[in-house]
Amino acid sequence: MRQYARTPLLLSLLTAIALLAGCVLPAPYSPPAPPPAPVPVPPPAETIPPVQAPPPAPVVQPTPAPPAAPPPVRARALNPAARTLVAQAQTQVAAGNYAVAAANLERALRIEPDSAQLWIEMGKVRQAEGNFAQAENMGRKALSLATGDPRSQSAAWRLIAESYRSRKRVQEARDADVRAEALLPN
Amino acid sequence: MLLLRIGLASVAILAAFFAIYVAYLDRVVTQQFEGRRWTLPAQVFAQPIDLYVGQSISGAVFEQELKRLGYQQAAQADRPGTYRRRGNRFDFMSRRVQFWDETRDPQLIAVTLEAGTVSALEDGAGAEVPIFRLDPLLIGSIFPIHGEDRVVLTPEEIPPMLPAALKIVEDRKFDSHFGIDPIAILRAMFANLRAGRIVQGGSTLTQQLVKSYFLDSRQTLGRKVEEALMAVILDARFEKTDLMTAYINEIHLGQDGQRAIHGFGLASQYYFGKPLSELQLHEVALLVAVARGPSYYNPRRSATRALERRNLVLQLLAEYEVITPKEAEVAIKRPLGLAGDGRIAAGYYPAFLDFVRRTLRRDYREEDLTEGGLKIFTTLDPLVQAGAESALTAELERLDKARKKQRKESLEGVVVVTAPQSGDVSAMVGGRRVGFDGFNRALDAKRSIGSLVKPVIYLAAVETGRYNAASIVDDSPIEVKLANGQKWRPQNITQETFGPVPVVRALSQSMNLATVHLGMDVGLPLVAQEFTKMGLEKEPARLPALLLGALDVSPLEVAQIYNGLANGGFRTPLRAVRAVVDAQGKPLQAFPLEIAQLADPAAVYQVNRMLVEVMNRGTGRAARARLPPGLVVAGKTGTSSDYRDSWFAGFSGSHLAVVWVGYDDNSPTGLTGSSGALAVWSQLMGSMNTSSLDLFLPETLEEATIEYKSGLRANSECAADVLNVAVPHGATIEQKPGCEGNVLENLGQRIGGFLEGMIRP
Repeated sequence: MRQYARTPLLLSLLTAIALLAGCVLPAPYSPPAPPPAPVPVPPPAETIPPVQAPPPAPVVQPTPAPPAAPPPVRARALNPAARTLVAQAQTQVAAGNYAVAAANLERALRIEPDSAQLWIEMGKVRQAEGNFAQAENMGRKALSLATGDPRSQSAAWRLIAESYRSRKRVQEARDADVRAEALLPN
Repeated sequence: MLLLRIGLASVAILAAFFAIYVAYLDRVVTQQFEGRRWTLPAQVFAQPIDLYVGQSISGAVFEQELKRLGYQQAAQADRPGTYRRRGNRFDFMSRRVQFWDETRDPQLIAVTLEAGTVSALEDGAGAEVPIFRLDPLLIGSIFPIHGEDRVVLTPEEIPPMLPAALKIVEDRKFDSHFGIDPIAILRAMFANLRAGRIVQGGSTLTQQLVKSYFLDSRQTLGRKVEEALMAVILDARFEKTDLMTAYINEIHLGQDGQRAIHGFGLASQYYFGKPLSELQLHEVALLVAVARGPSYYNPRRSATRALERRNLVLQLLAEYEVITPKEAEVAIKRPLGLAGDGRIAAGYYPAFLDFVRRTLRRDYREEDLTEGGLKIFTTLDPLVQAGAESALTAELERLDKARKKQRKESLEGVVVVTAPQSGDVSAMVGGRRVGFDGFNRALDAKRSIGSLVKPVIYLAAVETGRYNAASIVDDSPIEVKLANGQKWRPQNITQETFGPVPVVRALSQSMNLATVHLGMDVGLPLVAQEFTKMGLEKEPARLPALLLGALDVSPLEVAQIYNGLANGGFRTPLRAVRAVVDAQGKPLQAFPLEIAQLADPAAVYQVNRMLVEVMNRGTGRAARARLPPGLVVAGKTGTSSDYRDSWFAGFSGSHLAVVWVGYDDNSPTGLTGSSGALAVWSQLMGSMNTSSLDLFLPETLEEATIEYKSGLRANSECAADVLNVAVPHGATIEQKPGCEGNVLENLGQRIGGFLEGMIRP
């Protein structure tokens, strides 16, 4: 569980400095575009993302920290076991053994159920075997887990775009591609 | 001459009749034997355990798993199915295993466990192994034809001690006689005549087998002759080892209520709670003793008699040099060692198997099922199942004892556990007597779910865009006009009213009046549809009472609905069967993971955050004491009217568990969701390996700090009890008077909101 920022004073101070200096604070994460906005609007110079001014942490925390904000950039590296299963799955997909590939990925998901990357891999298997609707759904599942991880977000949109293209939904495919492109750091 | 002819003719006619009779018997008994023998039951396997570095598992649990899988401790792990333990390090040689997606040859593996986690995993050559699957545990068999489950053993699964002991005790000439043993019969007759009553039986194992097939215990002479003839026929037609295997799988060894315990495999589970292959000498001897007369030598009812008989069996084994006198001496000193109090200990999962059977019936053609030898790979996690069973039985016992008025009837309960991301059903307990194969409450008990409906209503409200966690709802008396003209005046469970409260508090404290206000504002059609959206098959009636949980569904259906929440707004059908392969290992059918988005993930996120508050400060906070510190969970209590049903549904990052507690006759229990079901739930969640709920703030939401009581924007310097909630960017939240102090914060928020408005079209 990520912790709340427990340094309200420091953050307030930083905010103040930022305001005075009129500069952009480095955000803990900076999604180039929020999902509904395909093209990122270059923010005005004094942009302070709302997450930059977190309220002071409550004095009384009766229990473990509630789900946290702001999310830091998530550690993306899969553990070696899951990585091995992904590699095996990719080999199986190449050989056309989609069911076995999916089985490998399901095992990996039991180890890391919150990994956007695994859902994208799973979606690629579905896409390869022609189950385009499931490919899209898995892309969307990945998106819901990829907050703060533009690379995975981009890959998820790419997958969704492909699934649309395979179903001849050209315009939706194009839109998804634009989102995927916009998320890529360059 | 004539006489002779008549004589010969009658003999011929008699012989002909006799031949016809024998042919008839032959057909009957052979059919019976082959029908049972050649119906290879479908074998049902649990989810295999994956070993990898970093996985949590203790040395004790790991060793127990190896033993349950039938691995034998040895000086060297040099044969498949053996292991060696040295402190924290286990070396084991895996068997050849057929998984549904691969077949793997035996492999030498070394596992090192430190502080309850796998710290190293290597192969025989010392090379790192990233991940290794243990053999899947056999959890039962399904006879597709008879629809019954039994633990049926193949000859390889029978420990050699058992047939040896059976021969010595029941039928010493088994290997040489022709189905009956005339000398034994004469000896028995003589002994019985001398004693004036029946003291000895002369039946061979084959005769006993025949008797068991036709379940006719009439001791008439005609019956005996017929039995003897059938035994001779069987003996002539089949191999001795086949007959022995059939005997071991067939013979009656006890009675569990309505359920007859047939076969040593099931009896081993029934009496000792473990598979036959793991029984020790004194335990095998007890089963052999019971075989002589399961009711007379019932070890649970006539312990002394059973113990004497068991020791006699042990002495005979020593006498005939199957075991050494020393071994007999040690075994004789052991107690009976029965598992549990009449219930079957871990290892027999009737509720789950029932669910598997129903899945198969739904998805298979009868001819697929009857071809036999199927292997069914399920999603059952035996560790979670064991945790669910013990949490339920222990807590129900405690709750029963704590009752003010002692009742004759005891509380019943259900636990269903799923892995939210895949919809895999990890555990299912269908009643308090976990091994009792009867009414499967998990699937068939449709009970009123009370406040478990609330998260669905709040989700519907959030999805309208008109409500968020900080929105104010009115917890005040309300009157709803019903279709029949009557007026409905709901009340809070405590009869109090709280006035204007934030949505998050209304849900945390499960306020009825606030919920009715909210639900009526959202509209009953939208609320009712939300249930089907979340996975309920039939849309509930659009009645106001729905808002307070007038909805009768099974624990499994509750699990399906809450799985949608736990899975972040994605639906995945709950499944018990992962794959089915035929006798040759060819996959017949796979049930791949399928998901569909059913609700806006941001809306589900907001509701889940509120459900975390239920555990932190609301009706679920009692669970805290039993959960590991720092474990983040979300959940909701449910209590039906007059305290008839006590529910809890909640989830961590890796498990969703739904618990129901109540009486079968639907009488009041006096328990709320929090005093009953929550106790079982927290006991279970606290005992198993589960990960924190890790929620990712969607980019369309932001954090806001509000006062819990009023829902006004506040901070810890100006209000006593504040909390963070997730709300859509730019949500308007009124400021608590006296909380304007933090200018910078307000400024930041205002600018943030302003920019948000600019960026968002």
